[in-house]
Amino acid sequence: MKKCFFLFLLFVMVPSCSPVENIEFDEITDNGISDGEIHIGSSLALDGYAGFLGRETLRGAMSYIKFINEQGGVYGRRIRVTAYDDGYDPPRCLANTQKLLIKDEVFALFCYVGTPTTVKILPLVEQARVPLVGMFTGANALREPFNRYLFSVRASYYEETGAAVRHMVRDLDMQRIAVFYQYDAYGFDGLTGAELALQEEGLAPVARGSYIRGTSNIEDGVNRIVASRAEAVVMIGTAGPCAAFIGACRDRGFNPLFYAVSFVGAEELARVLDDPDPPRVVMSQVVPPPEGPRTKELMACAGEYVTLLARYYPGEKPNYIGLEGYLNARVLVAGLKRAGRDLTREGFLSALESMGPLPLGGSSQISFGPRDHQGMDQVYFSTLVNGTFVLADDWSVSPDRGREGGGKTQ
Amino acid sequence: MSMFSFQAMSLKNKIFFSTLAVIMIISVIIALLARWILISGLSSELELRGVAVARSISERAGGHLLDKDYPALLSLLFEETRLRERQHMINYVFVTDRENAVLAHTFTRPFPDRLRHVNPIPARAEKSVRLLRINSSPAYDIGVPVREGIYRIGSVHVGLNKTHIDSLVAKLRFMFLGFISAVIVIIFGISHRLAQYITSPVTKLIAISDELSKGNFDVPIHLGPQQGGWDMSDCPAFQDANVPCWHFDDQVPGRAQDGEMHHGPLGKCRECTFYRRRSGDEVIQLADSYINMVWSIRLYRRRLQESEGKYRSLFNSGPDPIFVVDCSDYTILDANPRSEELYNYSKKDLVGLFFPDLCPDSAREFMDMFDEKTGQDGCIYFPKILQYKRGRKPFYVNIHACPISYRGRRAVILAATDITEMMEKDAQLIQASKMKTLGEMSAGIAHELNQPLNAIKMSSEYLVMIAESGRRVEEEKLLDLFGDISVQVDRATEIINNLRAFGRKATLRREQIDINAPIRGVLSILGKQFMLQDIDFRLELGESLPLVVAHDNRLQQVFFNILTNARDAIRERQSKSGTEFSGMIRIRTTGGAGQVTVSISDNGSGIPLHVRDKIFEPFFTTKESGQGMGLGLAICMGIIRDYKGSVEIGDSSAGGTEFKIYFPGAESGPGRTVDDKGQQHGKDSGNR
Repeated sequence: MKKCFFLFLLFVMVPSCSPVENIEFDEITDNGISDGEIHIGSSLALDGYAGFLGRETLRGAMSYIKFINEQGGVYGRRIRVTAYDDGYDPPRCLANTQKLLIKDEVFALFCYVGTPTTVKILPLVEQARVPLVGMFTGANALREPFNRYLFSVRASYYEETGAAVRHMVRDLDMQRIAVFYQYDAYGFDGLTGAELALQEEGLAPVARGSYIRGTSNIEDGVNRIVASRAEAVVMIGTAGPCAAFIGACRDRGFNPLFYAVSFVGAEELARVLDDPDPPRVVMSQVVPPPEGPRTKELMACAGEYVTLLARYYPGEKPNYIGLEGYLNARVLVAGLKRAGRDLTREGFLSALESMGPLPLGGSSQISFGPRDHQGMDQVYFSTLVNGTFVLADDWSVSPDRGREGGGKTQ
Repeated sequence: MSMFSFQAMSLKNKIFFSTLAVIMIISVIIALLARWILISGLSSELELRGVAVARSISERAGGHLLDKDYPALLSLLFEETRLRERQHMINYVFVTDRENAVLAHTFTRPFPDRLRHVNPIPARAEKSVRLLRINSSPAYDIGVPVREGIYRIGSVHVGLNKTHIDSLVAKLRFMFLGFISAVIVIIFGISHRLAQYITSPVTKLIAISDELSKGNFDVPIHLGPQQGGWDMSDCPAFQDANVPCWHFDDQVPGRAQDGEMHHGPLGKCRECTFYRRRSGDEVIQLADSYINMVWSIRLYRRRLQESEGKYRSLFNSGPDPIFVVDCSDYTILDANPRSEELYNYSKKDLVGLFFPDLCPDSAREFMDMFDEKTGQDGCIYFPKILQYKRGRKPFYVNIHACPISYRGRRAVILAATDITEMMEKDAQLIQASKMKTLGEMSAGIAHELNQPLNAIKMSSEYLVMIAESGRRVEEEKLLDLFGDISVQVDRATEIINNLRAFGRKATLRREQIDINAPIRGVLSILGKQFMLQDIDFRLELGESLPLVVAHDNRLQQVFFNILTNARDAIRERQSKSGTEFSGMIRIRTTGGAGQVTVSISDNGSGIPLHVRDKIFEPFFTTKESGQGMGLGLAICMGIIRDYKGSVEIGDSSAGGTEFKIYFPGAESGPGRTVDDKGQQHGKDSGNR
């Protein structure tokens, strides 16, 4: 009986143990930290039609980082940022990020620009368990589902479009609102945000028009939207195509209220829209103008940005994008500092989550929590006045009654 | 774990364990089968999906490979692998070129170099699947070639996690374990209940059987659902032993209760109140059968008790003493009350007593009989055995001995009939006959006595004459005379003594006698008389004959009777022939080989053949009425038989009758009758 029992066991056990090749390798946990240095990586558009965005963001960030390095770094470690240009091309961004992780062995990722690019590298972030701090994009995909490795600093497109749509509908009594968007993840995101906001008001976009990223083939979109005789158009795209769109509409005698999300890029848009008879353009921003009159009371640290930019990049003009970059760097350094000398990725994440509000001077602050990885929720509205976008207290550009804009909206 | 014997387990456990074993084996087999099916199914499923993914990538990768657009390639890889459901399935993907150098991969750490050699795709193969382990978790590497036209430009390797299969299998295993445990518990419950249902009545039956074995037949039998109305007083066969009940009497084929041969079907009540059989499962039927059986036993016992009672009462109230004697050691095993009375011993004394002590004279005879009886059937009749009561008081019995088996031993049952009274009556009859004989003898005695008396008278007259004459007689002559007188007186005395001896009542004890003595005794009485009647005696008496156990005067009586009959026969012939016919009686005694023969032959008229059988019958006579009662020879026959002898009647050579009387010698032992062929019999069939 015992023999049978053992044979039986054998019969059962053997199939489960078979000689099989075992590939062993270590998972990376904490790269990029050495005694004297913390290596940070970034892949962003430094060249091409979206290069402006990347360059400005990086400059803003590097201004602060250089400042910190000059002061000895964080616990004696200097921050070194390796940035690759991905030209706003998601595959390139992916390849760059993989390189950053494997070859450059960075500690964290930083200052990514654009929705399609950042969304593309999410699998890498998850697989490598690497923090990504500061993304120049308000994409919803980076916020939902909750990703504990991502730390956004700025408000999302949903928040932007939501605030705008609400203002348009409730304050300006507009009913007919169209959407013009870039035909990619970014554009879809903005479209969805606008649609959700309209849905809340019991409305839907009267027209949708799109263009393909990297082109300015806006004709089709223009036709649709002009035909709809919308009262306002929500634009989610880049500066060039958006400016072209506005021009095309005006050429056809179509003069709705144009609203653009922050990503479009205020300065660029203003530059491209140089027109004696300026259209009514409102742009939402997630940071106040760096040198605006009221900035001191809204976000006093913008002054530091201006100063540091002048110091390290003399001749460069401060802008919203750069200010965002600067804020990204502020968050990064705050997290590094709080994580302590025994720096680990997990420690860094916990540090950011438990940081408490990071005061930015004035009424602004950045705060994170265990389930809240978005630092700020503020949306500011600026209107095009005299070739620049100035912070608007109300949307007095429109002939309708003005209302108080800006402030924390949701 | 000790190996305990399967046989010794209770039924409950047997059922449980065997059912359990079977269920477990089946369950294990099913589990293994299911696992195998699941694993093989899932694995092939996984493989298919992996191959599909790999092929999909391979088809789209071709362009990027040729363009050397590695970022696009990488983007493709991630696109394909990070779709929602595939995330957990795909561990890695990498693409190699023709030289097996890695062009793109989805690791976030340096590519493990070994990996690109693990699963090479054979030259013409469409795919290659290899099981391997990535950091000890199992995975499949599925390799698919990237083709441009028919030439391979690279290969795509997709690493599929197998863990979900393993987790499924583990889940299955758990589920099965849970299921089997539940089954075990259920089986436990069911088998116990089932076994309970079977063993509970069996256990009850065992207990009841034990009670019955102890003899307690009143134990209540409650098995299965209660049945009503099973009361033994309802059954007529129980109350009345004469009512034949097929259920009981069936065991004695063809015999009814009273022992008579009964042919045909046995009776039973039209509606038997007791033997029932309910419909139901085996347990109920067992219970019914059991109750029937117990009832049969009770009935049988009752019958047996009645029968035993009957025979015990017969034994106890038998008018004759009955003994049961053990064949092996001749001790009394049992005795009935009558034997206590007759023999004047208490039963306590009788049981264990050595039986031959009660009849020392016939002890040998009995012991031989006991020895013989071991293994034989049939009964022996012992007539006129002398036994002793308490205090050595003798009395006579007829004993009938039959072999039996008594409590497993070979024994003999002896019934003794007290014949002392009869014997006394016999003796009286004999005495009366003797008296008659004496009467008959008186003439002879007178004759016999006359002689010496005459002689004495003559002598005394001569002496008177001498005295009166005054003659002188010689002294010698005087002495002669006186001597002669004395001799004659002696002779007369002898005759008278013989007479007296003859008339005396016989003693109970037999003696060992020389057969010639009673012959001479009779002759001394009859001799002279016969001579006067012109009958001569011729004596041929043997010497050193074996002694015979008998009474002297009874033998005399026998010989007297035969001789007187011979005389009568001779006289008859004398009267017939008319002439001077001298009768002759020859008496011859011979002996040897343990027996003695007396032959008395005469030359009388003989006995016709048709009469010879009857002459020994009582009250048979050929004489004219008034001449004799016909008892004499009957009595002689009785006496001869008493002494275990026998008689034969034949013709004598002189034309008369020859009586041959045989007696067994004292050493040859009693209990055997001897026929003329000299063979011995053990049996007395009662006829001659």
